[in-house]
Amino acid sequence: MVSKTEETQLNRLENQVDNGGGGAWEYLCLVRKLKVRRSEKVLKHGLSILNDPKKRSALGPEEWTLYEQVAIAAMDCQCLDVAKDCIKVLQKKFPESKRVGRLNGMLLEAKGSWAEAEKAYSSLLEDNSLDQIIHKRRIAMAKAQGNISEAIELLNKYLEIFMADHEAWREQAELYVSLQMYKQAAFCYEELILSQPTVPLYHLAYADVLYTLGGLENLQTAKKYYASTIDLTGGKNTRALFGICLCISAIAQVSKGRNKEDKESPELQSLAATALEKDYKQRAANKLGLLTCSLRSLKN
Amino acid sequence: MAEDLVLDTAIRDWVLIPLSVVMVLIGILRYFVSKLMRSFQTPDPKIVKEGHFLFCRQVIVRARNLRAAANFITPKSFRSRRVYFSNEENGLLFVPKGQAQNLQAQMFSDPNMAMDMMKKNLSMIIPQTLTFAWVNFFFSGFVAAKIPFPLTQRFRSMLQNGIDLSTVDVSYVSSRSWYFLNLFGLRGLFSLILGEENATDDTQRMMQMSGFGFDPSKSLSAEKDGLDIVQHEWALPKFEHRAEAVLKKLVS
Repeated sequence: MVSKTEETQLNRLENQVDNGGGGAWEYLCLVRKLKVRRSEKVLKHGLSILNDPKKRSALGPEEWTLYEQVAIAAMDCQCLDVAKDCIKVLQKKFPESKRVGRLNGMLLEAKGSWAEAEKAYSSLLEDNSLDQIIHKRRIAMAKAQGNISEAIELLNKYLEIFMADHEAWREQAELYVSLQMYKQAAFCYEELILSQPTVPLYHLAYADVLYTLGGLENLQTAKKYYASTIDLTGGKNTRALFGICLCISAIAQVSKGRNKEDKESPELQSLAATALEKDYKQRAANKLGLLTCSLRSLKN
Repeated sequence: MAEDLVLDTAIRDWVLIPLSVVMVLIGILRYFVSKLMRSFQTPDPKIVKEGHFLFCRQVIVRARNLRAAANFITPKSFRSRRVYFSNEENGLLFVPKGQAQNLQAQMFSDPNMAMDMMKKNLSMIIPQTLTFAWVNFFFSGFVAAKIPFPLTQRFRSMLQNGIDLSTVDVSYVSSRSWYFLNLFGLRGLFSLILGEENATDDTQRMMQMSGFGFDPSKSLSAEKDGLDIVQHEWALPKFEHRAEAVLKKLVS
């Protein structure tokens, strides 16, 4: 993930380049390093460098990386002729390259010829079955064709080998959630929490999935994870605050007949409600009435 | 003896500086030769081995994460994951005893890999040997430099081998020690000139060489032992209290 300083630097460079004051090459390098997706700007500024022969020769050997970057950005913006030209130049320079083969596969994907792209990727995988990027492209293709279950299968196979890739686990969790396979999604979120325990996003998502699954045990666990999200974000995460209120009322409903085991944190609900009201007063005062009504109905 | 020997400046001009320059040039030459040799190498069919190593490395990372953050997930999930890893039959980290030795022996008997290692070793050893012999032949028999700090008598045999006077202060060394100083010291200079990943990193490569074969089986069993030891203590209930405290502070 991108840190705050890097983000401000990126925005500053972007403004600078957009308003006509140099620095296009630094901007493109930073985008490449941070792996952000700003395809329109990359396309515009990259093309301006590539079409100017003086600037192009000033780049030296980095010229080819720029061609690759512009080709991918062009495919993202559906300017397929630009992409084809860039790839042609690269192919002339590096005829037997796997990277160029991958770009060709991506171009077929962008055109929508799924079968040919699949053939291209399979042949590339035969030579080198450990190429992570090609595996991911196949999964992306399955997802783009709407075949989510196949995407999940491919991603599972990928994760069997590359199990330390937390971005892949995240993608898998979202795929499972889209298919409502919540137990498997919970497993993926657990993996994410294991690899990065201090990122509140994963705690929040895990708590959401557990709350959706329902059942007393899951609700109690979800409450704990909402609490940890609040702790990690200093109480500023509105969704977690709502989550706590909803969880507590759901638990109360489920355990209506049984013993009320509220010994853990009795004040949490009222505290969360107060924090929410304070937040709404500051940021959306006109919705405060709505909030108080719904909170009151939750308490009963 | 505390008397200072006056060394001729000609020594500095004709011994120290040329020796350093020659070593830098040889290093650069070796770097380019190794780049050339690498470009001639076809991709070996040891991709299967590489795949196995990659897989093991990923397993180790995942097991390590499990150990480090075990207290953040529910006890049930932790237990199921632990079984998945250290299960006796098909757990990921379980390496049967026979296989552990096998892997390393297999690596050394594989002709391709042995050739590869030989080539890398040679490219390291031959220039070193030649330069050393050259230094010994041309630059021996006189005092080359003075080390700025005093040394004990034990270093005499190592640093003063060409000088046959036993009364000279041990701080005065021969050019052989200047050679060794350069050998280890120029590493930093090379990484500046040649960028990262240059082939002149002898000491680093030597360390890499020894760690190569053991990577999978030993680390896997080490991770398994570590995982077996972990006592799971669920930290989440504590978080509820912390959240309360945070909210209290926020609301008040």
